[in-house]
Amino acid sequence: MQTNQHGWTMFYVPATTNDENIPKGHSYADCFRIKLLGLIAGMLACLIWVGSTWASAAPVTLRLAHTTLYISTFYNGTTLKASGTLPADADVLLHVIGAKKNVALKVKGKVAGLLWMNKTDVELENTPAVYMVYTPEKVGNDLLLSQLEGDAKALVKDVAMLGVGYKAVVKDIAIKPETADKKFVFGEYVKLMEKAGVYGVHNGAVEYGPVKEGKKQYSVTLVIPPKMNAGKYLIEAIAVKDGRPVGRASEEITIELSGLPKVIASLAYEHSLLFGIMAVAIAVATGLLIGVLFKGGGGAH
Amino acid sequence: MLHMYLPIAGNSVNIFLILGLGGFVGLLSGIFGVGGGFLMTPLLMMFGIPPTVAAASDSNQIVGASTSGTIAHMRLGNVDIPMGLMLLIGGIAGGTVGVQVIKLLKAMGNADFLIAITYVIMLGGVGGYMFWESLQGMRHDNGMPIERKKPKAKGGDEKKSFVQNLPFQYKFEKSGCEISMLLPLSFGILVGVLAAIMGVGGGFIMVPVMVYLLRMPMHVVVGTSLFQILFTCVNVTIMQAWSNHTVDFVLAVLLLLGSTIGAQVGTAVSKRLNADQLKIMLASLVLLVCVKMMAGLLMTPSIMVALKGGH
Repeated sequence: MQTNQHGWTMFYVPATTNDENIPKGHSYADCFRIKLLGLIAGMLACLIWVGSTWASAAPVTLRLAHTTLYISTFYNGTTLKASGTLPADADVLLHVIGAKKNVALKVKGKVAGLLWMNKTDVELENTPAVYMVYTPEKVGNDLLLSQLEGDAKALVKDVAMLGVGYKAVVKDIAIKPETADKKFVFGEYVKLMEKAGVYGVHNGAVEYGPVKEGKKQYSVTLVIPPKMNAGKYLIEAIAVKDGRPVGRASEEITIELSGLPKVIASLAYEHSLLFGIMAVAIAVATGLLIGVLFKGGGGAH
Repeated sequence: MLHMYLPIAGNSVNIFLILGLGGFVGLLSGIFGVGGGFLMTPLLMMFGIPPTVAAASDSNQIVGASTSGTIAHMRLGNVDIPMGLMLLIGGIAGGTVGVQVIKLLKAMGNADFLIAITYVIMLGGVGGYMFWESLQGMRHDNGMPIERKKPKAKGGDEKKSFVQNLPFQYKFEKSGCEISMLLPLSFGILVGVLAAIMGVGGGFIMVPVMVYLLRMPMHVVVGTSLFQILFTCVNVTIMQAWSNHTVDFVLAVLLLLGSTIGAQVGTAVSKRLNADQLKIMLASLVLLVCVKMMAGLLMTPSIMVALKGGH
């Protein structure tokens, strides 16, 4: 065995040998293959044992009532029940994260010292389209305030380690131009998205159930606003103890268009010219129909 | 309350609210002959519709509303088709130029500021002049003397002879004037440029142009304006759906149901009002939008960023 120039360990097997330890009737290569197979089997066994131990001791679990949600004609957003268990002495935080994208923004500024206008172009890169945090009763505020306000006395001191909340989100975001004030721009963007309902901190939304065998149950009703468009979203539950994460569990949900919205979206994006002509034809036909109806009733004159 | 999901806008809306908005704007369309784009787009944005989708879907609903309105006015003999065609050709040419102007301004980084300033100046100027003029007319009706500027005899004659000497003279019978076809064509181009810069159909500019510059009777102005708007919006709807995918058909149909009925009611109402009353009402509306826009420019915004794309 030797190490190559890239640092990878390489096995070197001689074609023939006179080693005395080799059983009669077996070559050195046969012996090596047997040892290698044994090693792989041992490693697999170890992995299975570690995996099963981890699963049985997983500090937090997450179950969703549905993993696919459908947007139909009369859809106005919905709710999704999430639940699970965690150690009795820990707390749980959940966050819902949308696909990350680059967001082009205009920062407002005064022109001629008098008029407020959309003035400067900035771009926030790697920004989630949706970001919502759900915290438990009583402790939720403390857990998150430490991140939002930078309170040194608060429970969570290492935001990056916990990875929840706006401060954690902003760490992954880059701004263009780099000279722009990222904290300020993201703060204002959060206000804009909170107004649209796709960003939010739902303090006290997580409810705890009874403790059984050292574990307590939790449940939360996640809000799915109508502006959460079709796509995939990650829901993550983080168990927190003494300000440190002690376990994570995640699930993915898919939001899909169905029925009339699906037909219209498909026409609009895949047959756009036909869709435009159809929209005009239906508008003209409706206008004519109403005109005829009013003439018949004599209402217009 | 019953909601409906808008797949292109990516949001849901209250059906009755959108029907009501459509009805209100249709009423204005029937009374004044304006498309209402300058009112509808900001209103839709207030209810969470993205600006580009609001503007394009509004064009779609205006097609329906103006079809209904144009037919109603045609029955009343209020549409001057040759005049409408001249304005339409000019409007489409001007609109194409205006789109290029916007592209150039955007590249220079001054587009948003110029759009807002153009809005305020145009709305303020047009609304203020119409208001003052109608007030003078109403005073005259009440037996009060009107202060009219004496025309400069020499200048007036020169202007008259210049207009009379233009080629392609044509008698626009319903409008009751004999002028060069180049005149409505030029005004059409001017309105088209302004409409493209401001992102609206241009009815609220076209109506005063026809009343004050082409001296057309008010009821013919309304019918002819609707006729011109109908074809402009057919073009805009197809273009927006084709190249930008911003026409939300569900939203347009909801607005349409309200606006087509509103347009019929508006046309009936317009017959009961005299020209000065109509003008002063439209002037007040235009001035109200102008004041709202001015306030928006002067007051410190609650959120200091905006998504790029709207203004």
